[in-house]
Amino acid sequence: MILVYSVGMDLAAIPSPVELIELPATQIALAELVLLAVAGGLLGAFVVLRRLAFFSHAVGTATFPGLVVADATGFSATVAGLCVAVGYAGGVERASHTGRAPGDTATGLLLVAALAGGIILASDVFESGAAVDRLLFGTAIGLDGGDLALSGVAALLAVAGTVLLGRAWTAGGFDSVSAPLLGVPARRADLLLLLLVALSAVAALPAVGALLVTSIFVVPAAVARLFTRDMRGLLLWSMAVAAAQGTLGLYLSIWLDVPPGPAVAVLGAGVYALCATGIGARSRLPGEEAA
Amino acid sequence: MDPLDILLDPLRSGIERRALAEVILLGGICGALSFWIMSFRLSYPAESLAHGLLPGLVLASLAGVPLLLGGTCGVALAAGLVALASSDPRVGADSATAVVVTGMFGLGALLALSPDAPARLEELLFGDPLGVTDSDLLASAALATLGAGTLAALHRPLCAVAFDSPGAGALGLRPGAVRLALMMLLAAAVAVAVQGLGSLLVLAVLVAPAVAVRSRASGPARAMLCGALVAAGAGVVGLYASHHLGSAAGASVALALCAAAGAGAALPERVRPPGAPGGGASPARRAAA
Amino acid sequence: MAPPPAVAAHDLSLGYGAGPALEGVHFEAAAGTTLCVLGPNGGGKTTLFRALIGDLRPLAGEVRVAGRPAYLAQTERTRLDFPVSALDVALMGSLASGRWWLPPRRAERHAALAALERVGLAAQAGTLFGELSGGQRRRAMLARALTQDAAVLLLDEPFAGVDPASAELMTAVFDELRSEGRTLLVSTHDVESARSFDLVLCLNGLQVAFGAPGESLGREVLEATYGSDLVILEEPPERPVRAITVQHHEH
Repeated sequence: MILVYSVGMDLAAIPSPVELIELPATQIALAELVLLAVAGGLLGAFVVLRRLAFFSHAVGTATFPGLVVADATGFSATVAGLCVAVGYAGGVERASHTGRAPGDTATGLLLVAALAGGIILASDVFESGAAVDRLLFGTAIGLDGGDLALSGVAALLAVAGTVLLGRAWTAGGFDSVSAPLLGVPARRADLLLLLLVALSAVAALPAVGALLVTSIFVVPAAVARLFTRDMRGLLLWSMAVAAAQGTLGLYLSIWLDVPPGPAVAVLGAGVYALCATGIGARSRLPGEEAA
Repeated sequence: MDPLDILLDPLRSGIERRALAEVILLGGICGALSFWIMSFRLSYPAESLAHGLLPGLVLASLAGVPLLLGGTCGVALAAGLVALASSDPRVGADSATAVVVTGMFGLGALLALSPDAPARLEELLFGDPLGVTDSDLLASAALATLGAGTLAALHRPLCAVAFDSPGAGALGLRPGAVRLALMMLLAAAVAVAVQGLGSLLVLAVLVAPAVAVRSRASGPARAMLCGALVAAGAGVVGLYASHHLGSAAGASVALALCAAAGAGAALPERVRPPGAPGGGASPARRAAA
Repeated sequence: MAPPPAVAAHDLSLGYGAGPALEGVHFEAAAGTTLCVLGPNGGGKTTLFRALIGDLRPLAGEVRVAGRPAYLAQTERTRLDFPVSALDVALMGSLASGRWWLPPRRAERHAALAALERVGLAAQAGTLFGELSGGQRRRAMLARALTQDAAVLLLDEPFAGVDPASAELMTAVFDELRSEGRTLLVSTHDVESARSFDLVLCLNGLQVAFGAPGESLGREVLEATYGSDLVILEEPPERPVRAITVQHHEH
């Protein structure tokens, strides 16, 4: 509590949950986060399964300089983001199949260069420094119909992808020999997964920002994974957690007057911590034999 | 502008002299350490520590306490939480780490972006070499000394464990203890260097030097020395660019380091003598009887 | 009273977590003997060696080795891109003497150079490990074991994937070590070479046999060790069975 006072938060102004649904600006934000929960929950399950957490973080972060340029020049941020994200996803997929995968080191340096370049563009070239917080951490009130449309597309594609390619995506994770036997070339299925994650990450950028894409694509699925190994359960729980986390995170973000990205991230991680140590404390998952 | 002026201009200001001293000191020790960070594949842990310590920095900034203290506490907390989360068998280590880092980083941003808080987040994220105080320089000097001493004492064990960890164990060394010592040195380096380069960019000084000198490395000692020189040099170049071009100082240093890494990676590999195996063949394939 | 054995295992059971990978191991080897560990891939040879170097804790039973053994590993987990020279590798052997925080002394340097000479790598002392051929790399690792000057040497399939010239050099070194009174444990899948050893230990998830090769390597033992991977070449009466084994290499 002392900390809260020291940062000067105004505790008296706790918004009523009803306001969340009443005000048009927050309605859009709520709808956005729910749509993102569908994409993030479904794809997130595969991200966690296929160890793509770092990829999902990288694809979001890499768009930062593109977003700065788009923001300052009036160019479409969505198009700029998609170009970078899709290009990055394609590059990663090709590199991983030629055996010269970029690796953590190269990716880490790429992201540093992207962030450093972006901040120089923002603060020294375009002098749009004020936009940096929004681009990095998202916004609740600055969302528009275009963002909603993109998130809707991402959600639809995520559902379609899960239904059509879910098995291939799961099989590819465990045994890339049997994956082609399922009818879809493993390589094409993997590429589609990376592309869908990239697309959905770009859809998430306006709401949660370039740096906290993982709050939607990794955290809910990780929470779900604490409770179930079954694929269907994982997908459903993942979406549910993402939706709950998004809604509560939005509420928190409006109450504390902070961007949604950090609020959703903290909330999600907090839920994970509770579930990992408390309620689900290392209990045996259904289907596991006694040790 | 007179060429001599280009060189001497930044040296006229006390602030910039301190900044130069800082990047040279930090570049030196982090550049040397960078070789081991690459050899032990610690770049993802390094990045996780750098992002995860943000709440510590923010709280220190809000409380008016030295950033080094916040950085140190932040790094210790981040390391502990990552270790704890990664040990849960239900979720993969990379996803668990991502959850911890996302949560901690988000917490730092949340605390920093609360309306009444002073808006120093950009400096904490992207660095502020020009804000270096004399006590920061002292801390960097201490890190450089301590780090150099540790690397010197641990030189042979580090080589043995990096080369062949089980074999090193058979020789009587303790690979786990060696790795732990390296991780602690890494954590200290992150905590000190984060003030100059920021949470998002500090990875550059810890990883880029090794990439820059990799293709020319003929031994660990030489790789460390060259890494130190490259890092310090890139730091100086970055600060000079920032001074003359008016760009953000921390970001300029980070870009200089990344450029050095890019240049180094583009260099051809050391020429191999005829009859030797080509590069890239995996040890697993080679071990086939 | 007889001197304590150089290597001993008593009712040893070893595993990696999902259950024992190797059990019922019980043997003793006196100082100066050579022991051949026979068995198929996956049968437990490397597992036993890992326990002998202390890299793997027993699930049950105990293992004892006199002093710190030198270990020549099978699969190369060594980093080919880590920039050390052959001499650096040989020098690592002297780390076993304890004072790791000091740079190598002159005597240690001489010992490492002498070891390189013994394995025929004197000219390659300055060459980077990653630039050596497969056989040269194995010999460099052997030089490391020699520098260590250990009483017990554990050699895990030392000839696998090695060119004939290197193999010949290494055999000569092994003979020298043997005549110096050191204890050698060598794992191999070559049944015929096992006959030249003092003792043989057959492993296939459990200990099938232990003893002198003449008594132990009968047809039943070989079949129990290798199962269907065995090809009997000839089985003359009152003379040793001649057989070869089929090898499978998982990657």
